[in-house]
Amino acid sequence: MKIQNATKQKKQAQKILKKTTLLLFLSATVFIFSCTKKSKVDYDLDISETLRWHVATEPPSLDWTIATDTTSSHITGLLMEGLTRHGFKAAEVTTEPNLAMSWESSKDMKTWTFSLRQDVKWTDGVAFTAQQIIDGWERLLNPKTGAEYANFLFNVKNARAYLEGNIKDFKQVGVSINDKGQLIVALEAAQSYFPSILAHHSTFPIRKDLIEKYAGKWTEPGNHVGLGAYKLKIWDHDKAVVLERNENYFGKKPKIKYVLGRIITELSTALNMFKIGDLDVVDDFPSPEVRMLRDTKEYRLFSILAVYYLGLNVKRPPLDNVKVRRALSMAIDREEINNILEKEKIPAYNIVPPGLLGHDANIGLKFEPETAKKILDDAGYQDRSKFPRLQFGFNSSENHQRIAENIQAQLKRNLGLGVELVNEEWKTYLKSLQANTYQMFRMAWVGDYPDADTFIGLMVTDGGNNRTQWGNKRYDELVKLGVSESDKEKRKQIYFEAQRILNEQEVPIIPIYYYRAHRLVNARIKNYPQNVMDKFDLDDTEIIK
Amino acid sequence: MNIAMLNIMLCRFAGPFILLVLFASVVVSFLGYEVTAPVLWLDGILIILFFTYYTISQGLTFYVFRRILQTFFVLWVIATMTFGLLRIIPGGPFDQEKALAPEVKAAIEEKYNLNAPLYEQYGNYLLRIAKGDLGTSYKYYDRNISDMIADSLPNSFQLGIFSLILAFLVGIPAGVYAAANHNTVKDSTTMILAISSVSLPSFLVAAIMITIFTFKLGILPPALWDGTAFYIMPVVVLGLRPAAIIARLTRASVLDVIRSDYIRTARAKGLSETVILYKHVLKNSLIPVLTFAGPLAAGILSGAFIIEHIYNIPGMGKHFIMSVTNRDYPLVIAATLIFSFLLIISNLIVDILYTYFDPRIKLS
Repeated sequence: MKIQNATKQKKQAQKILKKTTLLLFLSATVFIFSCTKKSKVDYDLDISETLRWHVATEPPSLDWTIATDTTSSHITGLLMEGLTRHGFKAAEVTTEPNLAMSWESSKDMKTWTFSLRQDVKWTDGVAFTAQQIIDGWERLLNPKTGAEYANFLFNVKNARAYLEGNIKDFKQVGVSINDKGQLIVALEAAQSYFPSILAHHSTFPIRKDLIEKYAGKWTEPGNHVGLGAYKLKIWDHDKAVVLERNENYFGKKPKIKYVLGRIITELSTALNMFKIGDLDVVDDFPSPEVRMLRDTKEYRLFSILAVYYLGLNVKRPPLDNVKVRRALSMAIDREEINNILEKEKIPAYNIVPPGLLGHDANIGLKFEPETAKKILDDAGYQDRSKFPRLQFGFNSSENHQRIAENIQAQLKRNLGLGVELVNEEWKTYLKSLQANTYQMFRMAWVGDYPDADTFIGLMVTDGGNNRTQWGNKRYDELVKLGVSESDKEKRKQIYFEAQRILNEQEVPIIPIYYYRAHRLVNARIKNYPQNVMDKFDLDDTEIIK
Repeated sequence: MNIAMLNIMLCRFAGPFILLVLFASVVVSFLGYEVTAPVLWLDGILIILFFTYYTISQGLTFYVFRRILQTFFVLWVIATMTFGLLRIIPGGPFDQEKALAPEVKAAIEEKYNLNAPLYEQYGNYLLRIAKGDLGTSYKYYDRNISDMIADSLPNSFQLGIFSLILAFLVGIPAGVYAAANHNTVKDSTTMILAISSVSLPSFLVAAIMITIFTFKLGILPPALWDGTAFYIMPVVVLGLRPAAIIARLTRASVLDVIRSDYIRTARAKGLSETVILYKHVLKNSLIPVLTFAGPLAAGILSGAFIIEHIYNIPGMGKHFIMSVTNRDYPLVIAATLIFSFLLIISNLIVDILYTYFDPRIKLS
C-alpha cells in the first residue's frame, strides 16, 4: 500500500514536472525578449560627422558659474559664450568681441561700457539680454552659490562686500544697464585687461529661470541651454558626453556636427583606443610613450600658459639668506631637467611664460655652477657641512619624483649640498604647505586668463598663493602699476622690472620650466585647435572624409 | 495537497526554477541585453523568498533577525569611524593648488555646513543617513550620491557576478581534478597554473591580454563596457585570481574528505568515481570555499578598482579611491557603507549556506 502510494505520488509529481518545464521554457522565452539589446558604444552617431574626443575625467560640473576644472571648461567652452573671447592668431593672445560687439573704458579705466549683440538666442529660442549677465554675476558672487571663481570679479565695485554679506542689495554692486541697453561696469581699481577676464566661463550670462526651475539638475541634457556653437545632447555619466552642433549659433558655425567626448581616466587605455582608431584625439598619454610617439604624424606639442617652479621659504634658514637662494637658482641646470622630461618642456628662468606681454627669455639667473659655488662661499658656507638641513617637499607623482631626484643630484654635484626629499599625498601636501613645513617645495601655476598679471600677481606680499612668505614693497607697487597701465610698451617695462626683482635679485622662487602639452590627433581630423590657453574651439576643425 | 507534497514541489521545482531565472538573467546580461527593472525585481524577490523559506524551515528566524539587528549597529560604528577618520586626515575637500580667497572659502564652508561644530555636522549627517539621504557630492557639484551609486554600482555588480561565476566554474572543477589526480603531473600542472594566477598582478595580466586579443588578434576591444565582447577580458582577468584560490582551497579540502570512512564505504558499494567525487566528496568539501566566498563576493561586487580603471568600466571601484583623494566626504562614507553592508550580508548568506552544506553545523 505504502509503495503504491509512493508510486502514485511520483507519477503525479512527474506530470507536474512536465507542465512546469513547459511553463519555465515559455517564461524564460518571454523573459529574454523583454530585455532589450543595448548598443551605446557610439550612441548611434554617424562617425564620419563625429569628432571622438578623449575626456580625462567625468566633468565635475557643466554649470559654468561653478566649474573650475579643465575638463568642465573645455566642454562649457563649446556650449557657452561670454562677452568677449580670446584670439590666438597673433603672437600674443588678443581679446575679441563676442556677445559684446564693442567696449570702451573711461580714462581712468575704472568704468567700462559694453555694447551687446541684440540678435542672439539661447538654444531654447529665448533672447539673450544684458540682465542675464547681471544674473550670472549675482550668482557668481552670491555666498550661497559657493563659487570658487568668485574672485574673478573682486575688482568690480562692492563685489567683495556682497560675497561677504555686508551688502545685501546687488544693485549696489558696480554693474548696471543703461537706457541704451549697454552694460556698465564700475571697478574698484583701474584694470587695463578687464575685458579679457570676461572671456572666462565663470562670468558668462545665465538663465536664472531654468536654474531656479531645475535646481541641481539644470545641467542635464534636455534642461541645459547655452549660447555656444554646440548644445548638450547626451551626458551619460562616467561614460560619455555628446554634443550636437547648434544650428542657431550666432558666431562662425563649426563644420563638425557631433562631438563625442569619451570619459576615460586611464591614459594608457585612451592611448589603446586611439591606436585602434576608436578615438580621434587623446589629450595626454603616459610619458614613457613619448619616445615611441614623438616621430609619428599624430603627435602634437604646443605651449600652454603654465609654469613649474620651486618655492623657497624665505623665513626659514638657510633660505632667509638671499645669497643662498641665488646660488641654488644658478646651480640648477634646467636643460638637464628638460632632458629627463623628453625635452617636451621649455626651460624657464622667470615667471611669465612665452605668449604673453611681459615675457623675456633673458630675464633670470642662468645656469652658472662656478658662480653659484662662489656665492654660496660668500654666504658663509665654505664649509658645506655647516649648511643646515634642507627639506624639499613635493606631492607624490612619478614625474615630480624624477624632477626632485634630479635637482637633489644637481645640488650635490654642483654645490656639494645634501637635500632631503619628502613626498606627500596631494591634499596632505597642500596642508603642509599652509603650515610652512618645507624650506623648498614644488608648485605650478596655470594662467587663469592670458595676461602676465595672473603670473606676476602670484607673488605679491601675503598673496593667497604666495607660499614663500616673501614680500617686497617695490614689487607690489609694480604689480599695481602693471594692472592699471594701458600703454603696452610701458606695461612691458613694468613687468620686466618686476621679474628682475623676483627672478634675479630676491629669488623666492626658482622657475624650472614652462609647460608644453602633447596630444595625439588622428590624421582624419584637420585643423584641430592648438593654442596657449588650450581653448577647445572647433571653428576651423574638419573631418576629412 | 499535503505538506510533504509541498516540500517535494518546493525542492523539485522552486529551487531549479529560481536558479534558472537567475541563470537566465546572467546569460541575458552577458549577451549584451539590458536586464529590465521588473526582471531584476523578480530576481531579488525570488532570492529573498528562497532565503526566507529556508530560514524559517530550518528554524533560523531568530538567528537571522538578530544578525540583521547587529548589522545596523555595525553600520553605525563604521559610519562614525569613517566620519571621524576623514576629519583627522589632513587636507579638506576644497583645498587645492590655487588657494581660495578667504571670502570665497568662507562662503563655500557655509554652503556645505563645514564651519559648524563637529558634533553638529555629525548629528546632521547621521540624521540624513537614517532618512536614507546620502547627500550631494562635494566634487561633482549638486550630484546626488545616490544617483552616482545607482549609475555605477550596477556595472560593478555585473562585472563582479560574471567574474564570481567564472571563478567558481573554473576553480571548483580544477580543484577536484587536481585532488582526484593527487601527486601526478596533472595535479602539479593545475597547481602551478593556480599559483601563477594568484601571483601575477592583474594589471600585468590585463596588459598582456590587451596586447594579444586587441593588438595581435584584433578580436576584443581594449576598453569600455557595452556588450559581450567588452565583458570577456575584464571578467577573465578579474575572475582568474579567485578561481586559482578556490581551486587550491577545493583541492586541499577534497583531499581531506576523500580519506574519510564514508567515502571508502561508497567505493566499496561500487559507485563510480565521478559520482563519489561530485556527489559525496564535493558537497562536504565546500565549507572552506564558502568561508572564502563571503568576503570575496563583497570585495568583487563593490568594484574592482584596477580592472575597472584599465578597462574603463564605469563602476564603483574608482569612487573608493578617488573620493578619498578628493576628500569628497559624503561619497567616501557612502562607498564605505555600501562595502560594509555587502560584506555583512554576504557573510550572513554564507553562514546560512553552511547549514545546507553541512547539516551538523547549528547556528544559534
